[in-house]
This record gives sequence, C-alpha cells and structure tokens, in this order.
Amino acid sequence: MFELFSYGDTGWGDEILRGLAITVQLAIVTLPVGLLLGFLAAFASMSRLGPLRFLGFGYTTIMRGLPEILTLFVVYNGVGLLLNMALRWWNPERGATDFSPFAAGVIALGMVFGAFAGEVLRGAFQSLDKGQTEAGRAIGMTQGQIFRRIQLPQLWRFALPGLGNLWINMLKDTALVSVIALDDLMRMTKVAVGVTKQPFTFYLLACLIYWVMCVLSELVLYWMERRANRGIRRAV
Amino acid sequence: MNPIEIIAQYWPRLLDGTLMTIKLTFLGALIAALVSPGFALIRTHAAPLAQAPLRLYISFMRGTPILAQLFLIFYGSGQFRPILQDWGLWTFFRDPFNCALLAFALNSTAYQTEILRGGIMGVPQGEIEAAKAIGMTRFKTLRRVVFPHAYRIAWPALGNEVILLMKASALASVVTVFDIMGRTRQIFSRTFDFSTYLWAALIYLCITAIFVLIWRQAERRLSRHIEAHHKPRVAAQPAKEPQA
Amino acid sequence: MSQTEIILKAEGIHKSFGSVEVLKGISLEARKHDVISILGSSGSGKSTFLRCLNFLETPTSGKVTVHGNEILVRNGKPQNVRHIEEIRARLGMVFQQFNLWTHRTVLENVMEGPVQVKRQPKAEARDKAEALLKRVGLEERMGMYPSQLSGGQQQRVAIARALAMEPDAILFDEPTSALDPELVGEVLKVMQDLAAEGRTMIVVTHEMGFAREVSSEVVFLHEGRIAEQGPPEEMFTNPRTEVFERFIAKVM
Repeated sequence: MFELFSYGDTGWGDEILRGLAITVQLAIVTLPVGLLLGFLAAFASMSRLGPLRFLGFGYTTIMRGLPEILTLFVVYNGVGLLLNMALRWWNPERGATDFSPFAAGVIALGMVFGAFAGEVLRGAFQSLDKGQTEAGRAIGMTQGQIFRRIQLPQLWRFALPGLGNLWINMLKDTALVSVIALDDLMRMTKVAVGVTKQPFTFYLLACLIYWVMCVLSELVLYWMERRANRGIRRAV
Repeated sequence: MNPIEIIAQYWPRLLDGTLMTIKLTFLGALIAALVSPGFALIRTHAAPLAQAPLRLYISFMRGTPILAQLFLIFYGSGQFRPILQDWGLWTFFRDPFNCALLAFALNSTAYQTEILRGGIMGVPQGEIEAAKAIGMTRFKTLRRVVFPHAYRIAWPALGNEVILLMKASALASVVTVFDIMGRTRQIFSRTFDFSTYLWAALIYLCITAIFVLIWRQAERRLSRHIEAHHKPRVAAQPAKEPQA
Repeated sequence: MSQTEIILKAEGIHKSFGSVEVLKGISLEARKHDVISILGSSGSGKSTFLRCLNFLETPTSGKVTVHGNEILVRNGKPQNVRHIEEIRARLGMVFQQFNLWTHRTVLENVMEGPVQVKRQPKAEARDKAEALLKRVGLEERMGMYPSQLSGGQQQRVAIARALAMEPDAILFDEPTSALDPELVGEVLKVMQDLAAEGRTMIVVTHEMGFAREVSSEVVFLHEGRIAEQGPPEEMFTNPRTEVFERFIAKVM
C-alpha cells in the first residue's frame, strides 16, 4: 500500500506533493491580497463619507452571504469574460484567452477573506482604547503617526484571533479551486483516484494533509497570540 | 439573452434548486441539532479520556475542507462497495443527495457541539446551584436551567453556523446535486450568460436575509429577560415596601 | 423548648479541600422554630458548613439527617445518594448572590420548584406563588424578569422561591452581603417576619443586629470548629471565649 504514496513513477507521492505546493502557494499569495482588501473594507465602513461607508458595508455583507464556490465561479467566468471582451476590443483578431485559474483563485479567495477580515479589523479598531489616541493627539502626533505608532501595533493584538480563524478557513477553501481545474492538492488527489481506483485511501490522505496544515496553523497562531499578548496580563 | 430572459425562461429550475438548497441545509442543521446536545454534554462533563474520540472527530471536521469530506464519503464509499452492498447500505451511498446530507450533518454536528459547549459553560454556576438546592434531579436541572440558558447564549452563533452550512451546501453541486448552484452551473453551461450567476447570488442573499430576520425574531423571544432590562419604563414603577 | 421535634441534625461534619481542612467536625441540631445564626470571620468555614447541610458541598465525612432521611458520608462518598434530592427539597436555600433563574419571570421562578420537583398542578402552584410574592411585597413585579429588579427585590423573590417548597427549614447563606446598604433592611424585615411566625431558619450572616435580636441560638465558628454556642443575649453580653470576644469587638 505504501508503494501508492511513494515518490517517482510507481507512486503518487510526487504528484500529491506538487498539488500541495500549489495549495500552499495559493494560500500564501491570497493572504496579503485578502488583508489589503480587509483593511480597505474596514476603512471604508468606518469612513465619514456616506457612499464609501455604503460601499464597504455592501461589500462585506454581500460577500459574506455568498457561497465561496459561487464567488469563485463568478470571478473565474465573469472576469474571464471581461478579459476576453477587453482583449477583443484591443485586438479583434485575437482568439479567446483562458483566464488563469490560479489568478481567479487568488482574487476570489482574497475577496472572501477581505470581506470577513474587514469585519474583524473594524471590530479591532473599535476596541482600541480611545484615550491613547487622544494622548497621541495631545502631544501633537499626526493622524498617520497615531495610526502607525499607536493604533496598528495594538490592532494586531485584537485582530489576531479573528484573522487566524480566517486563515484556516481560507486554507480549507483553497480546495475549491480544484473545481476550476487548478492542479492543487485536491485535484491531484482526484487524478490519483482516477488511476488507482482507491478513492477512500486517497481522499483520506488529502484530508489528513489538510488536517495537519490546519493543526500546524493553530499551533503557530497560538504562539503568535501569546507573543502579541506579552506584557498585557502583567500590566493590568 | 438578457438577465430578464434568463429568469423568465429558467425560473422553474432555479426555484427547484432553491428548494433543494433549503432542504439540504434544513435537514443537515436539524440532524446536527439533534445530536449536538448529547455531544456537548460529553464535552463539558465527561472525563478527558472519554472525550478523546469526540475531540478527534471535532478537530478533523474543523480541520479539513468540507469538499474533501464530501468526496471522502461520496467517492470514498465506492472503495467499500462490496461490503456496503452486503450490508444493504450501497443504495444509500450511491445517492449524491444522501452523501451530501451525511457530510453536512457530520460537519455541522462538530461545529454545533462546540458552540453549544460554550453556551453550557456560560451558564451561571449560581443558577445551577439554586436548581440543586430546590431538589431538582440532574436531568431536570439540565432541561429546565442549563439548556434553556445555554441555547440563549449560543443562539447567535448557531444562526451563523446555519448560514455557513447553507453556503457550504453549494458544494453538493460538485457531486451533481441540483441545488441552486447545481442549477446555475447547468444553465450557464447552456447559455454562457453571466447573469445566471448574479441571479444565483441574489437568491442566496435573499435566503440569508430572510433567515437572519427569522433568527433575530426568535432571539428576541428567547432573550426577553435581557431586552426588558433596557426599558426604563418598567424600572420606574414605584417599589412596594415589604408588608409588615 | 428542647422537647420539640428535631428538624435537622448534623453530626461530625468534616470537609477538606485538598490538604486544607476547612471543617473539623461540626455538629448542630435545629429544632422546630429554632432560628440559628452562624457567625464567624471570613475563612472560618461557615458558608461551607451551610452548603454541606444540603450537599451543595459534599462533606468529607459526617452525617446529616433531615426528616428521617439520613445521609452518612465516609471518605467523601455519601452512602445514600438518593436521599440528597429529598433533603434538598425539604431545606429551602437563599443564596448570597440570589441566583434567580434569569431566563424566567419572577412568578415562574417561584413556581418552578413546586411544579417541577413537587409535581403540583400549575394552577395551585401559581396561586401559592402569587400569595407568597404578595407576602414579600412583590405582587406587582410578578411578570418581570430578575434583571429588572433591584438586589433587595431579587433577594425577596429568592426567599419566596424557597418558601414555595414549604420547607422544613430554610438555609440563608449571607443573604444581605451582596446588597447595597440601603436595601439590606427590606430583606432583614422579611426574614424577621419569617422568624416571628415560627419558621426554622439557619442563617450565616454578618448582621449582628439580626443575630442578637432575632435568633434563638448563636453558633460561632472559628478555624473550622464551633468555638462558642448559646443564646444570643448571654453570648453577646458575656462572651466566654477570647476569640468570640475579639470577634464582636471588631464587628460591632
């Protein structure tokens, strides 16, 4: 049975590892995209401008209410359509181009992550101690300085548990890209199943790999949370 | 085709898919709701060693993609086809709806158990003591004091879980269940009209919105004793002195 | 007086938490109409002792008898577990933190025991609950939730809840300690009325006025033992032990 998982021509170890690499890449590339969108959404929904607030609120609410797989299809097919339309307008001779499933995955998962992260970050901003902002203003700091020097370092502490959860959810959601034919862990497993006719064995293996990644993430997050909370207990 | 034509032509399919999504979500959440109270009690009351299998199950369910869980059940069962046939279970596992329902129920049970566990741990110890002091049995204390309280605490989180399950139910389309997502993909593959997806999004948002309204209404009923606290009108009534 | 029926008897109650022995063998008898005040500085074990009487805390060893229900405890294990609920139903308890069920109205709190534990018909339980709430002066608050009441009002509901079980005796665990000073009076007044009508009460308290004027017997606990015991007037005017003398000098 272990031959099945070995590395090389006889086993599926190398294929599955390659899939795993894609999955990890996808998650790591998506994270900054999602965080950026999250910050934008948080700022928008706390803005003094009505339309901007509406936009931020609309984005987080709609995005959180849609199935992730629907978002993925909307991005994959929708952006693909737009892209082709734009390309054809640019150069009518050109044939249809396929939109990269990896890019679609990053955009879709990033949009989902950003919507949830927007809520987490807004909550974190609101739990910041207002007195410290005022103290910053009182010694003549600019809004930017207050944000960078006072708010951001503390924001991290409040937002970390929520963002950690989102990271784990996103890691699991990467499995969806197998449906749009990206050769991630899930899809490579499917390929292996097609050849070996051992679906339970291979899907269980895939589950175990995801499980290990999630448990490892939890451990790292636990360690990060403890670091972020250094000095807090003692100070109180 | 324009968006109106899409909905005019395909609304019966989308409606059919909507009903399927609701059915999958409702049954999955219901099965989990029936199992989770018992599991939650094990999590709060049983010895650590007795909890180990349950904790492993919960960790697995929370640490793996639902899509992988669904594939493990739907495709994975094929590997044991002869055995399942012997036991007469093959007809169950052959049906993608059954497999999807089983996967969602198993997954939601894990989440609901943890949510409910949090609720049980949030019940004020003093109120449990008061129930004991009046001579209630353990079972009665659970039924009359612990669970009513725990459900009130857990209510918003349970609502969130149902919404997450509803969203996850879209994965059933991958194993050819014709829910909203399944119908949408079917229509898109014929028309290549992008607005199909927008209609699907609208339907999902409507279901979520309606569900949130119903759930909040129920929450208001459940937490009358908290709401009331904020009404000054009541507190302003003159207190009556104890009678001599 | 000593010929009246014994309601509650505790013999040789010991209680240890880990290696710390909190109760070092306490015996107490409550006869019908007795009002026993248990005094002691914090850490003397008085609340623990009270909680051992209805097994909210399981003694390490000892014996509790209420109305023929006898429970012997050896090595932290009660011999007759089934009597515990029976004993609890016969002993009312009023807590320091009231412990009303916050998800039920005032009336429902009072009806809960009679309906759920004593299996009385709802209508009957409701009539009785209404009468009791009227007695403690809260008939206009029956439909409210505990969170809408002041601490003093909540404690009066808790007393009505205990009375609804028609208990043989009522245990009070520092019933006024969690109250704002101006609300203490209304609760003490109700307790005084109960004493006057001949209820059997065991009261752990810091209210020296109540102990001295209302109770029929005072028990002073010190370091897990009964240091002094007797009629209040005699004890307060003529303390026999140095510890009790120091205690009253400090609190009065």
